[in-house]
Amino acid sequence: MRNLIAFFQRFRIFLVFALLQVVALSMYFTYSDFPRIQMLTTAGSINAEILTIRNDVTKHFNLEETNKQLQWENKRLREKLKNSLYKEDKGFITVDDTLFRQNYSYIPATVINSTFDKRDNYMTIDIGRNHGIKRGDGVFSSRGVVGIVHLVSDNYAVVKTVLSKNINIDVMVEKGGSFGLLKWSGLDAKRGSISGISNDMRIKKWSRVVTRGGSGIFPRGILVGRVEKKGYIEGKPLWDITVRFSEDFRSIQHVYVVKNLMQEELDSLQQQIPEDSEEPEL
Amino acid sequence: MGGIILHSVRFILFVLFQVLVLNHLEIGWGVYPMLYPLFILLLPFEMATVPLLLVAFAMGLCIDALSNTFGLHASSALIFAYFRPVIFKLFAPRDGYENTEESNIYTMGTRWFIYAFGLLLLIHHTWFFLIEIFKLNEILLLLRKIGLSVPFSFLLSLFVQFIFSSKKKSER
Repeated sequence: MRNLIAFFQRFRIFLVFALLQVVALSMYFTYSDFPRIQMLTTAGSINAEILTIRNDVTKHFNLEETNKQLQWENKRLREKLKNSLYKEDKGFITVDDTLFRQNYSYIPATVINSTFDKRDNYMTIDIGRNHGIKRGDGVFSSRGVVGIVHLVSDNYAVVKTVLSKNINIDVMVEKGGSFGLLKWSGLDAKRGSISGISNDMRIKKWSRVVTRGGSGIFPRGILVGRVEKKGYIEGKPLWDITVRFSEDFRSIQHVYVVKNLMQEELDSLQQQIPEDSEEPEL
Repeated sequence: MGGIILHSVRFILFVLFQVLVLNHLEIGWGVYPMLYPLFILLLPFEMATVPLLLVAFAMGLCIDALSNTFGLHASSALIFAYFRPVIFKLFAPRDGYENTEESNIYTMGTRWFIYAFGLLLLIHHTWFFLIEIFKLNEILLLLRKIGLSVPFSFLLSLFVQFIFSSKKKSER
């Protein structure tokens, strides 16, 4: 017993260090997959409060740019109104056809905190459980896809952005419809890549890359970016496609959260698919 | 007593500066400046290692909570605090640290500061980006992030001391 105490005395410093280190590291490596204690993230109420105050101060710096964006989006939406179309084309009404049941609804939100230069980037938005959003909902802005809701508290939520290791949103090249999973290499906040497109598919440079809507997180056809470069992967019959994001993650202010009203139906159907299908992991 | 208040105020200021200003700088090329290691360096000499570790851990957690890093800063701050006594012993001046109360650049000299703080900062940043990236095949990204962020953090720490430490001296 005395030896044991002597041992603890002698290695006290290292033991304290090791213990705290284990706590910190286990938190870091489990959090990004299974968030548990909300207090320690920006979804916690005090922390979110501080960041809201900060955002209240800094949001005005981008006011001009934000206004321009919203104006641009208004213009685009106005063009889609029935009275501004000459003849209704079926292609125009993909998401929200009033003749049918509403499939997706959108909740606007303001970004109060975001990063773009980490290996995994998160952003905090100012709506939460009380507004009806939940883990796994999609998030996009007027410029393109942003990410997926990762953590929710009563009034705030943390979004895992496209600039993350395991984001794996299913996307497709609009022309030709070849599809794959969106990845991010960690280097450049402007560019990502698509994996899993066979290299016998024809892909044109600068063609639009949009969401495929397969997992029900995003509606089909939300812009992700454009194909900037394609190359061969050595030893694999796949294209190495570089996408230039249409979203600028460095100056993001207003986003929309997607709620899929038929998610449960889709999920229960897709669960019946035998394994080995490429489901995106969150 | 005055020391405790001084360091508590510093604690809050360093956390807020890191979270509200540094985390939002848009420098690019993977540069991520971190200033809070300077706080751990400036803690008093006579502080034992165990309380030092606890303070560093608390600081890391506060920054983590406000920047969605879930323990990454806490882990790196611990590394910094753990190595602080080791490095201090390594670069100890001939007559020891007896009559110095704080290890800033004025009391310890530029040379000591560059070696000791530079080395500690390198250890800290290496650990931080190593844990953050955690993939061997992205070693180039890792090296670039370390190589660019360390000088940046170091210069920033120097700058902060030039502004604040000298002023404090003249007040006394």
